[in-house]
Amino acid sequence: MPVTFTFGEMLSARSVIGTTLAELGETHDNLWVLTPDIGATLVEFRDKYPERFLDVGLAEQACVGIAAGLAYDGNIPVVSGMLPFLSMRALEQIRTDVCYPNLPVKIIGTHGGLVGNGGSTHYAVEDLALMCALTNMTVTSVGDPNMVGEVLRQSMSMPGPIYIRLAVGKKDKVLYAEGEHDVRIGKGIVARDGTDATIFTHGTTVAQALDAAEELAADGRSVRVVDMFTLKPIDEALIAQCADETGGKFVVLEDHLAYGGLASRIADVVADRGIRLNGFERLGIPQVYAGFGDDEELRDKHGYGLAATVAATRRVIAQPSWPTSH
Amino acid sequence: MNDDAVRPEGERPSVAELEERAYELRAKLLHLCGTYEGAVHIGGDLSAADIFTALFHYGLDVDPGDISNPRRDRFLLSKGHAAVCMYIAMSMRGFFSYEGIVETYGKLDSAYGMHPCKVQLPGVEASTGSLGHGLPLAVGMALSARHRGETHRVVCLLGDGETGEGSVWEAAMAARSNELGNLVAFVDRNRQLMTSFAEERVAFEPYPDKWRAFGWNVVEADGHDMASLVAAIDGLPAAQSDRPTVVICETVKGKGVDFMEHNLAWHAGSLGAADLERALAALESTRKKETV
Repeated sequence: MPVTFTFGEMLSARSVIGTTLAELGETHDNLWVLTPDIGATLVEFRDKYPERFLDVGLAEQACVGIAAGLAYDGNIPVVSGMLPFLSMRALEQIRTDVCYPNLPVKIIGTHGGLVGNGGSTHYAVEDLALMCALTNMTVTSVGDPNMVGEVLRQSMSMPGPIYIRLAVGKKDKVLYAEGEHDVRIGKGIVARDGTDATIFTHGTTVAQALDAAEELAADGRSVRVVDMFTLKPIDEALIAQCADETGGKFVVLEDHLAYGGLASRIADVVADRGIRLNGFERLGIPQVYAGFGDDEELRDKHGYGLAATVAATRRVIAQPSWPTSH
Repeated sequence: MNDDAVRPEGERPSVAELEERAYELRAKLLHLCGTYEGAVHIGGDLSAADIFTALFHYGLDVDPGDISNPRRDRFLLSKGHAAVCMYIAMSMRGFFSYEGIVETYGKLDSAYGMHPCKVQLPGVEASTGSLGHGLPLAVGMALSARHRGETHRVVCLLGDGETGEGSVWEAAMAARSNELGNLVAFVDRNRQLMTSFAEERVAFEPYPDKWRAFGWNVVEADGHDMASLVAAIDGLPAAQSDRPTVVICETVKGKGVDFMEHNLAWHAGSLGAADLERALAALESTRKKETV
């Protein structure tokens, strides 16, 4: 990136996608970009490589199928669009045409979570559960806009498919200074260290978790925040380490259904590895169709806003502690 | 539209009256676009405003006082992003309060959002917004009406862009296969997608022939000429006939506001005070002056 942004500034993740793809198009002459009529931020690639850009119009299923066909022939296709439609309308194409033959198709898009005020047709809230169920799929959810570019760059050398989830992608808070963290697909990021509890989160709610940790620090609580931006494969070692180092007290916060996303991924690891916890709370969307409203209002209404995050973290810290072992 | 009328007796409005109502609908749309802070899908609202007016004030046999009458015509908005145009057209027909729409649109707990939800807003027939869903739903409702021996129509409004979705053509095939003459699709043929002019990316033409090839009765109308829309509605074959009908309405995205017409920047947007004034003045200049 030619311009450096610092913590707290707003940056459009969509524009990062556009510039990164244009940059990657130079070094990868087999990179294609496809979209079902969501191409406004792809113009830098489109104008530079019009012969490797395809806007199929409103046809998500064909878009993913065409990408798979390109990948069969040795190309690296990136499909960019709105995730509620890519993850559900084109689910069988992703599963059978992309994941089954393990092709390097990248699915990247916006509207993960209760964002954008479009109503329930336009919120992707089940997408991580669906994508994590697919064999061969790598599943990511990225909050920091600069990180989106890094994940895309790394994904170029991956032999199989990847799903990259963003919020609206218009104004995202820059969370990390350049080079502050080693961004590796499959490795969680300790965004803030602490010893009393860990908040695991991903995507747009990382900023909220950091705010909660800051608020708790004011009354002497030391809360770790883990940006678990890769949900699959999940960083099992980091989960075990956090159980050890933060008293076995976990809060999982996500802009996704409370069951089926990161909380379920972590609960699986905890059960499978026999990790002993002293408190576990999951904050996410309950089984409701969420309605209209601003992002923060909807999070508050549905019980996973900032106040709820602070309260849940206090509750897990207050739970009696047993020695952890695993 | 119905042998077994639901609507209370009364004369249907004249073409001139419908034109005036379409003007009023557009003015109300622009006011909402100037009031709400977020983006409104104003381009596709304006292209469909005459079709909505012709349907809710002339064509559809519906009664705002009796929204669950089984014999009512069903209307499905497949291009769900034109929800606000539907809400206002329905408010002008007596279904909802316009003030209620303007005051709460898009806000927490509002019934009126960017895409329509049947559960939150009774009177709306289906929850839509993801494109390509309306026509299959309409086929199901038309099949059910046939099965029950009812003679109302099921009317579905689609955008031309969304007919890129395969599900539209799966439903088109099923409608003809099941001889659903009680099914009518209106296509708002504004020739624009969100980010491009349609034919730049997708070869829709020869568009009417595509529907003919699927066995549909094809009617071509001027979607901004009320007389043309009324004639299309009056000419619909009986609901008992065996062919679904598509009315392909030639339209302009942003119609009525010169700086929005044919302009990709106005797929969705909001209007500041000065732009609202400019838009209303542009609209006023298109208003037909004949006495109503």
